[in-house]
This record gives sequence, structure tokens and C-alpha cells, in this order.
Amino acid sequence: MMKRSKKAALVLMVPVATLLLAGCGEEREQAMVFTDPSECSAAALNSAAQCEADYAAAQALHPQVAPKYLNKQECEVDFGAGNCETAPQQTTSGGSVFMPMMMGYLAGQMMNRGGANLQQPAAAGAGAGTNVPTQPLYKSRDDRATFRTATNTPVAGGIGPISLKPSQVKPQVGQVVRRGGFGAQAASRNSFGG
Amino acid sequence: MKRISVAERANWRAYAEEVGFNFHTFDGEPYWDETAYYQFTLQQIENDLEAPTEELHQMVMDMVGDITRSEEMLTLLNIPRDYWSYVWNSWNKGEPHLYGRMDLVYNGFGPAKLLELNYDTPTSLFETGFFQWVWLEDQIKNGVLPEGADQFNSLHDKIEQAFAHLSLPQPFYFTSVRDNIEDRGTVNYLMDMAAQAGVDVRYIPLEDIGVIADKNGDNEQFVDLDDQPIKGLFKLYPWEFMVQEDFARAITAANTQMIEPAWKMLLSNKGILPLLWARYPNHPNLLPAFFETASSEPFGAGWVRKPLFSREGANVDLITANGEKMSAAGPYSDGRYIRQAFHALPKYRDEYRNADTYAMLGSWVVGDSAAGICIREDATLITKDSSRFLPHIILD
Repeated sequence: MMKRSKKAALVLMVPVATLLLAGCGEEREQAMVFTDPSECSAAALNSAAQCEADYAAAQALHPQVAPKYLNKQECEVDFGAGNCETAPQQTTSGGSVFMPMMMGYLAGQMMNRGGANLQQPAAAGAGAGTNVPTQPLYKSRDDRATFRTATNTPVAGGIGPISLKPSQVKPQVGQVVRRGGFGAQAASRNSFGG
Repeated sequence: MKRISVAERANWRAYAEEVGFNFHTFDGEPYWDETAYYQFTLQQIENDLEAPTEELHQMVMDMVGDITRSEEMLTLLNIPRDYWSYVWNSWNKGEPHLYGRMDLVYNGFGPAKLLELNYDTPTSLFETGFFQWVWLEDQIKNGVLPEGADQFNSLHDKIEQAFAHLSLPQPFYFTSVRDNIEDRGTVNYLMDMAAQAGVDVRYIPLEDIGVIADKNGDNEQFVDLDDQPIKGLFKLYPWEFMVQEDFARAITAANTQMIEPAWKMLLSNKGILPLLWARYPNHPNLLPAFFETASSEPFGAGWVRKPLFSREGANVDLITANGEKMSAAGPYSDGRYIRQAFHALPKYRDEYRNADTYAMLGSWVVGDSAAGICIREDATLITKDSSRFLPHIILD
């Protein structure tokens, strides 16, 4: 029998790129939700280049902010069968970490730019010229219509322009999902050891 | 038990910093040291370390109830009288404990000897449970160590299970001294395991904990920065300090569940060593130990002198059988002392530094189970906070 732990995974101590967020005013700002950059380009709210840049930024953020699970079944309970993938930052043991697939993205809307002078791609993080952090969006198994942030904040019932307060959608490191089952078991025991 | 030199993993320092192990090097001196590892046989681990650890643990647990009822022993241990009933209550209510570490002398032969118990605020937890574990997995993956190499280290699994099974108030708070990065690293690791077990974890620096009282100044409760009650608290801060400070009185009034519980202050005290020796004289895993009194013989060859409360080797004096004297400075010189028979740490050759080195073994207990070991090395016979941490393997 092995004398060492089966796994030694970290979920809170893992690194995350510091997200540079512009000062969060409480005013609502225009933003957009799309499944992919071609939908975004077709809507002509931002330039095609901006659409691609935002999508790439959201994809880059996805593995960092997506909620993490230590097994695939638990992930699929929340996000539906076939909607979970292996996270790239595997635990050291080779025991994989799972996360939901990205189902869309949120980006700030470049207003009144009329397609001119938009060649510069946005940096990762906040969309250029807006305070809305560009980020991936997800859909939970029991509410297939709604786009949600990685922290489970619903942002839109479909694609297109929306308005929101940037502080409500501030991305955070994806933490392991806590389940009622653990709590229920803990509550049924009075002491540990023996 | 062998000491074997080995190449360091490329980029381990960058990896250490990525996973929050920010104290791998302290003041320019290595703390984590993977220029060598110790190798044990399975029999050495199971017969000489794991089984004695659990036996010693049961022996001290069997003494706690008696100590809580003995004015004489509570006095010998310097437990303030105001806390006697609080400690008694914490034991009789069965307040659960989480973990502890006993320090052992062991050279691969014969019985390991108990040097002391760190049963209240043991650190080097992350290094043992996580970083040493990753080191082994990496070195197997790199082909440096054989597939069959194992490690006595179930700390991560056992602590996570403990957090899942303990009935802790939620949210559960963790605290440590604000600017101590080593303590913060230990607490972060515990919070990480607790979170994986489903605990709603919150961190609060020790200095930010508040106390709220009713308008008569009664019913004091500990609160967080939003004045929300702290109903459960893991504190990486010694009980013997807590009972001496401004908030000491609030401890007995507040209904905060503490990990480690108050009865652990009886076991993290060097006074437990003479009490153990008196209860189990000549036990193979114990060294003779006595309280130092006015009528004690002059301190002489073959003895070690330790303050009742001290950490990381501070204020320890020793005289070897040959009369060689050594002392470690420290801030714990004002209390009482115990004396323990000197038993030399085994000496090994550090080829990387071309120097002799002494090894001490820490043996972990989670709940009531032995949960793994860690090894600290020092150029002297006294293991200190600056002593290096080396990984180990089991290979027959």
C-alpha cells in the first residue's frame, strides 16, 4: 500500500495573472455578448479585428477563471454532459482538473468608433476603451439560455449588446466548487478522530 | 536510512514561487534543499517511525484528562490559573484537534527517541505535505528515482479528510501573524485543503481580529473586520501567547471553536516530557526528562536544557557526553526549564557542501493517525528555524 497521498492538489494557491481592471465606476456601461467573433463581426458593433482580439483575450482568460472540479462527473452535473474539458494547469499528480467549456464571451462595446482606427487589438483584460473586463462566459446545465460569468453571475439571456456595471463582472481566480454533500456529511458528525 | 546526493530539479525555485512557497530561501540561505534525499526501508518507516508515533500519541492523549484535573501538573506546566477550567472544558467537551508534529532522533537502527512535541502550532506543513510530495513525483517522472519509490507522507490526504469530517462552524476563519510569510504559507496551505474539503474558508490577520462586548462589557465575542462573529478559528499562534495578551479574557467568554483546542497547550509544552517520563519510565521511545528546580544537580555532561515554551530550538543549551557545550540564543529565556538526557542526532556527510550535517526527523500526526515525516538538517546538533528541509523516499 502506498505510504503517500494519492494526490496533493492546490486550488487556491495556484497562480493567476493579475487582472488589470480600470477604475470601476458604478455607472452602467455598454458591452456585448457573443458566442464567437464571426457573430460579433456580423453585428458590426465593433470592428472584426476588435472582435477577434476580444475573443482571443477571453479564451486566454478562460483556463484561469473557469470554476475547477477534481472530477469530470461533478463538472458535468453543473454544466451538462459533454460540456466539460480538462484544464491545462493540471494538478501535479497528473490527476486532472476539469472545467466547463467556454460558451461565449463578454467584451466592452466600442461606441461611436464607426469602424475607423480600430486596427489596434485590445490587450488582454479590460477591453480597449471600456471598463468592462473582457472574459469568457458559460452556461449551466439547468439554465441553457443564460450566459454566466465564471463566478456564476448571469449577464445575458442571449447574444447582442447589453449594459452592466463593470464591477459586477470582475473576473476572479476559479476556485474549486463547493458542494452541499460535503457540508451535509460534516454536519452529521460530531467529532473527528477516535 | 541513507543520505543520497542527487541533482536538483531544473527551475524548482520558479515552481516554488508559483505555488506560493515563498520562503524556500531565507536571508539568502537555502531552506528547501534538494541536493540530497534520505532513503528509508519500508520496515524502518512502519516499525520504527509510524508505529511508535501512534503509540507515543496515544500515551500523551491518555495523560491529558489527568493533567486537566491535577492542580500540581497544571502548575508545573505554567498554565495560568484563570484558564484551568477553560482547558478542562475544552477537553471534556471533546473539542477536536487537527494535527501535530513530534520531533524524533532516529538513525536507522534501534528505537526512535522523542525530543519534543509540537502539538499547537507546528509548521513546515506545506513543505512536507505538498512540496516534498511533488519532488518525489517529479523525480520519478524524470527517471531520477525508480517507479517503486514511495514516501511516508499522507499528510495532504489526511488533513483534507479531517477538514471534511470535522464539524466546523461556517465560515471558518484562519489567522496568523500578519507579516510572517512562513506562517502565512502554512495557513494558505491549510485553507487550500479545507476549501477542497468543502469548508467556507476566510483569512484574517491576527492583528485584525476584534472583540465585541455588550453594553455592560460582558459576553465578549471575536469578530472579523465587518464585525461578523468568528465562530470557528484556526490560529497559527501559540496558546501560551494568547493567554497572556490583551484579548486573553475574551477567550474564555467567547464561544469560538479553536483549532488547535485549548487542551493542546498542555502538550505543546516541554513540561509534558518530564510528565511522560514519570508516567512511562524507561519507555524505549522516551528520553529521561525532569523539571529543573532549585535542588537540581548542576547542569552537566550528557544533558539538554530547554525552556518550557520555546520554538525552533531557541534558548536550548546542551552538553554532550564528552563535555562539549552548545547553546542556541533566543527570546524565551524568562521561563522555567526542563532537562532531558542528551541523545545525539545522527551525523551524515553532505557531499554538496563538503561538510558534516545532523538530521532530525519530524513525525506528523493528523487526528490520531501517523501521517508522514519531514527531515531537517543543521550543521550543529541543535535544529533551528534556519535548518534546511530535505525530502525523503522509501525504497527497499
